[in-house]
Amino acid sequence: MAFGIVECRAVAASNGNGLVGLVIVSHSAAIAGGLAELVAQVAGPDVPIVTAGGGPDGTLGTDGGRVLEALRTVDEAGAVVLADLGSSLLSVKAALAELSPGEAGRIVLADAPLVEGAIAAGVTASTGASMAEVAAAAEEARRVSKL
Amino acid sequence: MSASSELTLARLPATVALHARPAGAFVRAAAAFAATIEVQANGRRANAKSILEILGLGADGGTELTISASGEDAAEAVAQLASLIAGLS
Repeated sequence: MAFGIVECRAVAASNGNGLVGLVIVSHSAAIAGGLAELVAQVAGPDVPIVTAGGGPDGTLGTDGGRVLEALRTVDEAGAVVLADLGSSLLSVKAALAELSPGEAGRIVLADAPLVEGAIAAGVTASTGASMAEVAAAAEEARRVSKL
Repeated sequence: MSASSELTLARLPATVALHARPAGAFVRAAAAFAATIEVQANGRRANAKSILEILGLGADGGTELTISASGEDAAEAVAQLASLIAGLS
């Protein structure tokens, strides 16, 4: 079930608690859903997370309509988008262009590795940090050594 | 109020490594303080407010961490974080 994680643990990248949310975009629904679970475990359950994983027919790929739908769930608190590769990023950029300037202004696409970026962003968002701080935490993942 | 610098040692429980979930709890607690906080272990140092840097310490159960902080709430920060480390389960 390609969109299951969204229905079972979060319906939106915003939940009214004022925390910046995450939007996770991947070619694989399993990657997006599994990463959302991992972020919730490390960052706690309060950070709103929405996923858009997989292609329109449940296969590997990207679904621009689903990405747009996910971005439209973001409220005034804002959200940081993390995407895996290539067309995931293109889908996000295309979806951002469909939004009104007001909607697009509360979303930042992070230039970060997906797993590490989402963990860093999620933990930072859980502390009540601003959208810019959450995005910066995600992008810091490019320089932090793992070993 | 003058800023202070504080340093304390804290040992991870023998059976608890500073892996993803405990590290998340630690970083979220650290973020509540205004102080600049650093953790040293295994010859590495990490910003206590960066989950990826804390995970990068690779601190296994039983590792002794040096927690240092500077800023107005440095004393509370090191005390609370040391207590959190010692109490992880």
